[in-house]
Amino acid sequence: MKATLDLYRRLIGVQIRSQLQYRAAFLTDLIGQGMATGIWFLSLALILQRFESIGGWSLGEVAFLYGTVETAFGTMDMIFSGFDPRFFGQQVRRGTFDQLLLRPVSITLQVLGSEFVLRRMGRIVQGVAILAVAVTLTDVRWTPLKLAYLPVVLTSLVCFFGGLFIIGSTITFWTIESIEVVNIFTYGGSELMSYPMHIYQEWMRRFFTYIVPAIFLNYYPALFILDKPDPFGLPPFAPFLAPAAGFGVLAAGLALWRFGIRHYQSTGS
Amino acid sequence: MSSIVTVTNLEKHFKVYKHHRGFWGALRNLATREYTLVRAVDGISFEIQKGELVGYIGPNGAGKSTTIKMLAGLLVPSGGELWVNGRVPWKKRRRHVARIGAVFGQRTTLWWDLPVIESLDLLQHIYQIPPDRFRQNLAEFRELLELDPFLNTPVRSLSLGQRMRADICAALLHDPALLFLDEPTIGLDVIAKERMRQFIRHINSQRSVTVLLTTHDLSDVEKLCERVMIIDHGRLLFDGELASLRDRFGGQRELVVEFAEPYQDIAVDGAQAAEQDGRWAIYRFERNAVTASELIGRLSARYRIRDLSVREPDIESTVRRIYEERLLES
Repeated sequence: MKATLDLYRRLIGVQIRSQLQYRAAFLTDLIGQGMATGIWFLSLALILQRFESIGGWSLGEVAFLYGTVETAFGTMDMIFSGFDPRFFGQQVRRGTFDQLLLRPVSITLQVLGSEFVLRRMGRIVQGVAILAVAVTLTDVRWTPLKLAYLPVVLTSLVCFFGGLFIIGSTITFWTIESIEVVNIFTYGGSELMSYPMHIYQEWMRRFFTYIVPAIFLNYYPALFILDKPDPFGLPPFAPFLAPAAGFGVLAAGLALWRFGIRHYQSTGS
Repeated sequence: MSSIVTVTNLEKHFKVYKHHRGFWGALRNLATREYTLVRAVDGISFEIQKGELVGYIGPNGAGKSTTIKMLAGLLVPSGGELWVNGRVPWKKRRRHVARIGAVFGQRTTLWWDLPVIESLDLLQHIYQIPPDRFRQNLAEFRELLELDPFLNTPVRSLSLGQRMRADICAALLHDPALLFLDEPTIGLDVIAKERMRQFIRHINSQRSVTVLLTTHDLSDVEKLCERVMIIDHGRLLFDGELASLRDRFGGQRELVVEFAEPYQDIAVDGAQAAEQDGRWAIYRFERNAVTASELIGRLSARYRIRDLSVREPDIESTVRRIYEERLLES
């Protein structure tokens, strides 16, 4: 275990050092990623100035949803860069994935260590900043439970998006090309989760409750932290399902991943 | 000697799905899943003893790299048996790959943006090579492969020859018992090729690394291997000594004769006059049918001869003949 962590640290270290070699590119990317998030927030603020609320949620409350998703997605996008379906699809296509199979180390660890996009820091910093703004705008009544639960929610979100990335990458074993459908769930999912779920049509909400349990990852926790009533009348423990949903999707992703590797070894694509 | 690789009736069949184009085509692909079965490796058997240096050759798409991928544990066979180092490669992937090394000429295992030495350091941790052993091996390979001039250069800036040397070093640091070399001299100039061959010979004889070499360059095989295996259409056409390959299929040697004066009728028993031009003639003859000295005796009894030379068929034309004329097909 210690050797594994040590190796992971080294592999990531390599990635970070390589990226810092191209310093100008790194800095512009970092700033660019941060700005995109800032611009989103400004446009949301402008819209809300006109309409005052989105589905009865104020600017601060929507920003809370957006801040959590943005922070978690940025973190995931950095940690799980190797599983980004677009990046991983290339590895399979170019045959570099074979090189990972030739090394006596866990393949999952090697994929995680094969890419680490440090410039996602820009997105994470912006996400945290928006979360901070959201908290000041909404005057949340903090309790120890809420304070303790927020990092759990963020971690669960990271696992959730990470699981989706892994599923997307696994599919490329069959399709070779990374397919756009996967982006609907990852990028589309994060976009969708930035707004309160009750503004969507029922079929969509059901889909993101029972098929992809996105609703439990930030909407329900937000209801709890912001002291808002549950419009759908789910049981009172619903806000606390975030870890189960997050880790569940990650575990499902990893199970599919194992199956995918076995498939790859039998077809070689 | 004991065997390090045992392959029995090994098969690898791929389903290649028919691809219809366009939107309706995509729907048809989903619905019908028509496919053709490609027998990339179609029942081959061989053994490799510890310490051997075997050449594995065949035309493109013959099944060479599919075989190597199965031996390396990257692919699961569809039939037959496969043992390497006493293990079934794909069942115990991690333990298996810790005991083999592989260089696929076209691709690097090194980290593109890192200096060579840092890639090698990483491999020490990946293979958990004891520090002493790592230092010893690295020192030896640095000298033999002359790595020092570019040890601190990022891999992306290396020339092809340098990259190949760095890659072969990377494949050997963990003392593998078996090394797969896929096109190790591809794209190298004459001197670099020779240096690479010397190194391969060295690790085979001094470190008793068993080597399986696939190559397009038959002079690699000619200079390095005593044993050669030829694969085509997924089947093993020949497995044996290089010399016996030449004996069996090298077939026709050539005798080039310069006569003292032009002759009309130059026919002679046991050889065929293939070309004639003034005082020059080329005879082709079978190795087993007649010896060169017999033939020269017969000729000089009838004609006045000024000069002679015997040409041996090279391995390249021998193998080309085997592919083209399908000499080995049953």
